[in-house]
Amino acid sequence: MALPLSYHWRNLFVRKATTALTVLVIAAVVGTFAWVIGFVAALNRALSVASDPRKIIVLQRGGTSETNSAISPEEFNRLTQLTDVERDPDTGRELISPEMFWQTQLPRVRDGGATRANVAVRGVTEMAFLVHRNVRPQGATISTGLPEVIVGLSAAKQFSGLNIGDTLRLGFAENREFKVVGYFSADGGPMESEIWAYLPLLQSAYGRTGYSAASLRLREGADPAATIAQMAGAAIQLSGQTEGDYWRSQSSMVRIYQGVCYVLIGMMTLAAMFSIANTMFATVAGRTREIAMLRTIGFSGGQVLRGFMLESTLLALLGGALGCAACWAWLQFVGHTKDMFGTSTFTAMAFDIRMTPVIVLISLAMVAVVGVLGAVFPARRAAQTQVIRALREE
Amino acid sequence: MSGADIELKDVRKAYYKDRLEIPVLDGLDLAIRSGEFVVLMGPSGSGKSTLLHLVGGLDSPTGGSVRVGEARLENMNERELTAWRSRHVGFIFQMYHLVPVLTAAQNVELPLLLYRMSSGERRQRVTTALDVVGLSDRMHHRPNQLSGGQEQRVAIARAIVTDPDVILADEPTGDLDARTSEEILNLMNLLNSEFKKTILMVTHDPKAAQHGERIVHLDKGVLHREELTAARAGARA
Repeated sequence: MALPLSYHWRNLFVRKATTALTVLVIAAVVGTFAWVIGFVAALNRALSVASDPRKIIVLQRGGTSETNSAISPEEFNRLTQLTDVERDPDTGRELISPEMFWQTQLPRVRDGGATRANVAVRGVTEMAFLVHRNVRPQGATISTGLPEVIVGLSAAKQFSGLNIGDTLRLGFAENREFKVVGYFSADGGPMESEIWAYLPLLQSAYGRTGYSAASLRLREGADPAATIAQMAGAAIQLSGQTEGDYWRSQSSMVRIYQGVCYVLIGMMTLAAMFSIANTMFATVAGRTREIAMLRTIGFSGGQVLRGFMLESTLLALLGGALGCAACWAWLQFVGHTKDMFGTSTFTAMAFDIRMTPVIVLISLAMVAVVGVLGAVFPARRAAQTQVIRALREE
Repeated sequence: MSGADIELKDVRKAYYKDRLEIPVLDGLDLAIRSGEFVVLMGPSGSGKSTLLHLVGGLDSPTGGSVRVGEARLENMNERELTAWRSRHVGFIFQMYHLVPVLTAAQNVELPLLLYRMSSGERRQRVTTALDVVGLSDRMHHRPNQLSGGQEQRVAIARAIVTDPDVILADEPTGDLDARTSEEILNLMNLLNSEFKKTILMVTHDPKAAQHGERIVHLDKGVLHREELTAARAGARA
């Protein structure tokens, strides 16, 4: 049987200052780690709902996003040549949605309007709701003749002035007033951070006759690659991407940010490991005679080694629990919604970061491994204590 | 369990410092009967503690043989010695070596954690051991809440809780005042007389030595002389 847990637990508090400092370092690492994996999970969740394999985003040739793409009505009409586009069973029309993409600046809710961010405004027709099937209006939707908008739920949470009945000023010089008439959900995907208006009215507000992009829905079983190839051919000369590829490319900046976070976490983890090792070396040095006594009464070197590893793991888990609690408190304080700019749309995409039990478990498992690794050398030193020499120490 | 006899034959122990051999024990022969209380005395560096460590299986001789009961220690590896120690030897140190973060009862319980034993049985044994040393009312005190004498009593309870054959004590009263020393030595006499434990005790204190039955004087690693204590000699007379 091993040494009792209470022995290790109480020993953690013998050197209060060192333990407290180590716990704080570990808490900082785990808190950041939990936040980042929460962020990554939220991002992946958002992108996974925006990965309809039957949906193709159409841009002008060379266009990288809806912001820097322009499609003329003639170019748009060429899309009817595509052979694998699904048709509306009622009207027989191809499910191709012409869309205009713009952005407007709105004050953020989280800082009380101190800063503003770009919000995507999408001009759509009724066809958009047939193509973007995860978009579901909640309550009223836009009418075809009135200057009205419906607002994605994430956008409504993030930005002020988007309550039903509020007036949104759009157009050059912001001289057109659009009334917020309803909300829409998009399963938490990126479109939920957008504002939708009726396409002709938005075109009129910005003096445009063409579109930014188009979205289309493929027939069941159709090969997206074949449609994209057909689209790039001489007859159509437009560029297409599956929805998943499109949003992944739009979030590449987020991926870089995520990579930087991982590098930082790696460095912080190393620091935490050294901190644990340092604390455990001090612990071992201060308990040499105690270790010698344990070895004398019959505890093996392996039992002593495992004991110190357990003690180190407890220390790490203590810091880990504090880090998770700190991350949770931080999210409560600043809010769960985090927005990031798309690479080339420069509009905010919102993610809902949550401290789920899975994230807590992953964070604690990570820190437990750090605790074990940090204890390897100090615990080995403890196990190799020269018993007779240690017993003779005054 | 009663005591075990101890037999050392031509025991040699040398340490090496910068390739220089420093002999500590030089062909020592010593026999201790089962249930005997033997005191080791001698000047510093005479090999008393080294002898104690060899009998306790904490160290191995450079030459010769050490037998404790049925166990021939010179043939055992470290793992075997560790396991053997936990079952057959109780150690008492000058500085007690109690774990500060554990209570008296938890300190006494430590050697029992190496046994397959229910927590109820462990608790029973701990209570009995603390009762023997007269500290059953201090079970839940931490070492810093006990006097030096009480700490040493806890250490003695820890040494006897596994009911070992042999008790090895390295200057057990070296850090105590005269009155407390007397109490501890009386307790060791009790362990010897009532529980028939074989005791080997190192001391510099001639008065403490009189609590044993036989005093073995070491000098420069060899047995210098032996004498029966006054009590033993009186008993013989």
